[in-house]
Amino acid sequence: MNIVDIHICDDTLFCQLGDLDTVQAASSALRQQTIWREIVPGLKSVAVQFDPAQITPDEASDLLREQLLKPQAAAVPQIEPIAVPVCYDKIFGPDQEWIADKMGMSSEALVAWHSNLSFTVTMLGFMPGFAYLQCQEEIAKIGRLPKPRQQVEAGSIGIIGDQSCIYSFSSPGGWPIIGRTPVHLFRPENNHPALLSANQVVSFRSIDKAEFEKIAEEQYSRELGE
Amino acid sequence: MSLTVVKPGLQTTLQGSPFSSHRHLGMPAAGAADSLSLALANHLVGEVAGAIAIEITLDDAKFVAEKHSAMALTGAASFFRINGEDQPLHTQTHMKPGDEIHIGPADQGCRSYLAVAGKIGAQSLLGGQSTYLGAGLGGFHGRAVKAGDEIQWAGNSEPDPTATKTPIELRPNLSGKYIIRVTTGPEISALTLYSQNKLFEEKFQAGRRANRMGLNLHGIVLEMENDEEMQSAPVFPGTIQCPPDGEPFLLGPDAQTTGGYPRIAQVIKADRHLIGQLRPGSEIQFVKISSQRATEIYRQKLSLLTPWLGAVSLW
Repeated sequence: MNIVDIHICDDTLFCQLGDLDTVQAASSALRQQTIWREIVPGLKSVAVQFDPAQITPDEASDLLREQLLKPQAAAVPQIEPIAVPVCYDKIFGPDQEWIADKMGMSSEALVAWHSNLSFTVTMLGFMPGFAYLQCQEEIAKIGRLPKPRQQVEAGSIGIIGDQSCIYSFSSPGGWPIIGRTPVHLFRPENNHPALLSANQVVSFRSIDKAEFEKIAEEQYSRELGE
Repeated sequence: MSLTVVKPGLQTTLQGSPFSSHRHLGMPAAGAADSLSLALANHLVGEVAGAIAIEITLDDAKFVAEKHSAMALTGAASFFRINGEDQPLHTQTHMKPGDEIHIGPADQGCRSYLAVAGKIGAQSLLGGQSTYLGAGLGGFHGRAVKAGDEIQWAGNSEPDPTATKTPIELRPNLSGKYIIRVTTGPEISALTLYSQNKLFEEKFQAGRRANRMGLNLHGIVLEMENDEEMQSAPVFPGTIQCPPDGEPFLLGPDAQTTGGYPRIAQVIKADRHLIGQLRPGSEIQFVKISSQRATEIYRQKLSLLTPWLGAVSLW
């Protein structure tokens, strides 16, 4: 493994890694070690936290380098693909029009195009169950919003270039938004609280507002029933 | 019934130790924004440093007691009154049924901690009980308390009769001005050299957008070396990020787990409890130190606290 760089803060190490496969292999391997209090994968990096009362940052950095250099058995599990229902109605996708403009297509074509793509979950992060998704296709450069929105609704589907995301809870956020899913992405009472997992294949199924309401209601009553 | 909320103030939540080892699922730390004030309050009522207590923000708050219990208040409150009579902060105090407990607004600083002798009932999840407001999880039904809510606690532990007052030298000195030590972040070089220097030379003011997730920093506008989009990467409480508009922001305990803006600095672990006392308008001077020095400072701080608090960690 080619370790580009470990950036040392007093209780946190930020390590740049080449690509997503390396990140996922490294994260699984580091999870076998008890020294790390947090192991947080990014898209091209991983960060770990440790207790600086127990071990110095330099010692921790040496240990991390050593652990990452060990040959690792590739044991990143394969997970069932999932089709996530999305309503692309413009009330759920406030940025849909300008994104379509930027890509030189109509809103309808944008929806058809997006719901035909196949994505892979690259990581969970930002907030509980929030999923980052990547597709293979080259996409015109759509950047982050210059100033984050104060409020993005739960279930919102964001798009930045060849990445999409699903907001699991309402929050401030910087992704341009093209639609919304009624499905809940994080349920802490479950053994696996997050609906999606790293490496899972995800597609989007276009639904209308009526189906959106129906699914939202079903989920609500299911949660009340539990 | 143990304590009924009469006036909740701006934001009053149940907070203790942060959540840990679930950041890879996107679960933030949450927990007390000022871990030091929490530990000091809990110690006065015989609870462990990270036990759940009541975190009160900026505004005044009122409660009515429903039973006998020891309690203690630490942090930013300008006064602490029982039935209109002033009580000292940082002191083991007692409540009896019917007492009106009034916690004054913060003159300096931002948050106060009311600890009680007993285990406060709070929603348990993922190995923790603190409130994470962003997703409505933990604490008191995942939310800030409202007037009429009843905060309950089991048992009636006997606090240590020899630990009734926090030693003066351990009481945090709250003012409107903060020196916060940082190490440089992994993307410090996203800033121009000029702005890298300015980050540690100029004073910043905490902006009006300030909450448990983080706060905006006003002052000089930082210049970016280029406007390259960054790949989303892990961030933590204490991370300072800089978006393209050049106005950096500092992440608090409820911070998201990953972010897409350059991480220009990281507040050292020993100083992170200060973030919980920053309020809109607070003046902040960031001082750059090495990670080795940061570790020394953290260990020194713990060794000052240990004789009083016993084994303790800050977050």
